[in-house]
Amino acid sequence: MELSVFDLSKYLGVVPGTIERWVRQGKLPVFKKGTNYKFHTKELEKWAAKHNISLKLSDKGTQGKQGGSTISLSSALKNGGIYFDIPGNDVNTVLKSSIERISKIPADFKADLLDRLIERERALSTGIGNGIAIPHPREQLGYLNAPLVAVCFLDNPVDFHALDNQPVSILFFLLCPVLKMHLHLLSALSFCLRDHQFTSFLKSRPRPDDLMGKIEVLQNADPIS
Amino acid sequence: MWMIKNWYKTIYHKLFHLDDRLLLIIAGSITGVFSGLAAVALRLSLESALEWLQPFHHYWWAFVFPGLGALLSSFYLEKIAREGAGHGVPEVIYSVSRYGGLLRFRSSYSRLVSSLLTIGSGGSAGPEAPVVMSGSSIGSNIAKLLGLNDRQRITLVGCGTAGAIASIFNAPIAGLVFSIEVILGEWKFVNIIPIAIAAVAGTEISQAIIPEQVIFNHQMFQVGFFDILPSLCLAMVTALISVLFTKVLRQAGKIAKNSFFSLWVRAVIGGCVVGITGMFMPVVLGEGYHFIQSMISGTFSMGGFLVFLAVFAKIFATAMTLGWGGSGGIFAPCLVIGSLAGIAFHSALLSLFPSVGCASQGAYAMLGMTGIISGVMQAPLTGIFLIVEITGGYETILPLIVVSSISSTMSHYIEPASFYFKELIERGQFLRPGTDARILSDLNISEIIETGFIKVSENMVFREFIELLKNSTQNFFPVIEDHTGEYKGIIQISSIRKYALDPGMYNMVFLNQIMDTEVITASLENDLQEVLDMMDINNMDSIPVVENDRFVGMISKTRILDLYRRELIMQTSV
Repeated sequence: MELSVFDLSKYLGVVPGTIERWVRQGKLPVFKKGTNYKFHTKELEKWAAKHNISLKLSDKGTQGKQGGSTISLSSALKNGGIYFDIPGNDVNTVLKSSIERISKIPADFKADLLDRLIERERALSTGIGNGIAIPHPREQLGYLNAPLVAVCFLDNPVDFHALDNQPVSILFFLLCPVLKMHLHLLSALSFCLRDHQFTSFLKSRPRPDDLMGKIEVLQNADPIS
Repeated sequence: MWMIKNWYKTIYHKLFHLDDRLLLIIAGSITGVFSGLAAVALRLSLESALEWLQPFHHYWWAFVFPGLGALLSSFYLEKIAREGAGHGVPEVIYSVSRYGGLLRFRSSYSRLVSSLLTIGSGGSAGPEAPVVMSGSSIGSNIAKLLGLNDRQRITLVGCGTAGAIASIFNAPIAGLVFSIEVILGEWKFVNIIPIAIAAVAGTEISQAIIPEQVIFNHQMFQVGFFDILPSLCLAMVTALISVLFTKVLRQAGKIAKNSFFSLWVRAVIGGCVVGITGMFMPVVLGEGYHFIQSMISGTFSMGGFLVFLAVFAKIFATAMTLGWGGSGGIFAPCLVIGSLAGIAFHSALLSLFPSVGCASQGAYAMLGMTGIISGVMQAPLTGIFLIVEITGGYETILPLIVVSSISSTMSHYIEPASFYFKELIERGQFLRPGTDARILSDLNISEIIETGFIKVSENMVFREFIELLKNSTQNFFPVIEDHTGEYKGIIQISSIRKYALDPGMYNMVFLNQIMDTEVITASLENDLQEVLDMMDINNMDSIPVVENDRFVGMISKTRILDLYRRELIMQTSV
């Protein structure tokens, strides 16, 4: 295979000017085709082996990004679902009844998940203020196929030990199989919840379709995702 | 006793107040004398061993001598001296480039004994590599005795090599050139003078002890202008033979290692095969100086085709001796193969063009020797000067230069690594002075590592971490387990920047949820080359170092470059 100066400069991580200087100084096995310098891959590999240089003549850096982290908030919400009229008077009971309602959680794991959520609340409240909390476990849940965000509207506002001491009436459950998705969704969610219009819209207990539509609009405005 | 001590002390201090160069010249000449003595001792004992065994050579069972010799030689090396087999030159080169020429004292005599056993009994090998090993070990130990530093010790190792070669061949320039071209690898003013003095000292010693027995008689050769063209062809032939010789030698070693015989059985088999070959072709036996002498003087009596066969028989015998357990060098076998090849070429030339007016058989034997020496060692200057000196044939210098340069260039083209370097390159130990690999091998991880990083607990809340971040200049935060202090992962500020600027995240996240656990880590055992490769492959600028699950520090490319530059300045300055 033949390589041009530009190709080789990409593989070696230098600018084409450097390659041209090396050619002038006689450091590289080069041949001339017309007025352009060309390199044979075989010759280069020989040269690299001789000089103990690790030369990877393949595309570099394309596989750097993880595909899983780019899931959008709205698709996670579709996956999780929106639930109304969750009964309960304290943190533990509302968490318990919410988990029972969320259909995507495998039944075998529900008790375990509840323990983890309660433990997380004990360590540090997930109430972010303004009557909203984002319950999530500290460990990631390998048994889930896809991340899910479930919105639960409570019957009665519950004291969640939130920072602003306001009772919480809306829960955003955030359950992910992989850490990268968790951070991404958490950041996307927190972007939405900083929007005052959105929080007051939430308080009005909107219809699921309206809520979904609003979140799609908002996440497109998020500069990060 | 105390007088000797006092005397020693005075001398010692006087020496050290001398100029560095003068000190090296004095120490170098002492080294030259001792290594010359070692070389003379080996030569004389080889000769008496030959004389002693001479009466038995016409018996049919004489072929077991080389076998017994190889057995005793490997028994001596393995059980008594406890040193690795092999000819020792790569070890000297490696020690010079890596450990400042540090060699054990017992190396100064162990190879002498083992090669005496091998060669004296008829094994096909050369006494030169053993004397090089012993000379350089003498130089190294004299340097140790005087408490010299690495740089001075390397020069003395060179002196030992030069003295040994100069003494055994009675060839001072060849000793100087071989030492610098092959062993040290750098032509520096500070090296050349002491080494030249040592070479002279070695030669003087050998001439003083054995004045009559100059190894080869000097000859007058008439080499004309018309011999240039045949020399070109001869050079190509010798290049091919050199490559073949190198390959066969290495292959024989590999086959022996993979065979199911024990070390002792291997030595016996190898030696006996050599002995049987020697029954049909006595020219393959021993170091072969006498045969070379007769070939140069034109009194060699074998026919053209037999000589051609003898080239391959000698290659085979040398490979069986050295690869299967004998001890010795390839210098003398190279000379024998070279002169055989030269003579075979000469008779082929005469039978093809009977009327051509070319030089004598001896002149071609000489050209052949140059060709093989330059081809196998890829050291053209050593090839030229050695042959000029041992044959006294200065008139032939023009064709010698032609043959030597073409043969070394061609064999370099076919096989880029010479016989001495090949082993080192394969083990990644070929570190010539002033090269990148050499500098990287000198810098170790503990010199480069940056420590003093604030470690954070995996249970820390992100908000606390942000507070910590405000008053810190650190870009990397290792995350550890609370109780055990075990390394869990690392937080790179560059990759958490978007979360750090989002206050909504502060209370939601613990550090073990945001840290990066997939970052590749290095350990203190890695050498710098490996660490750099890891960083290159993964596109990293910094890499954490973790030892026994504990975070030790970070290595950054910035710091490496900084230290690399300083190291380069230190190593390339005289």
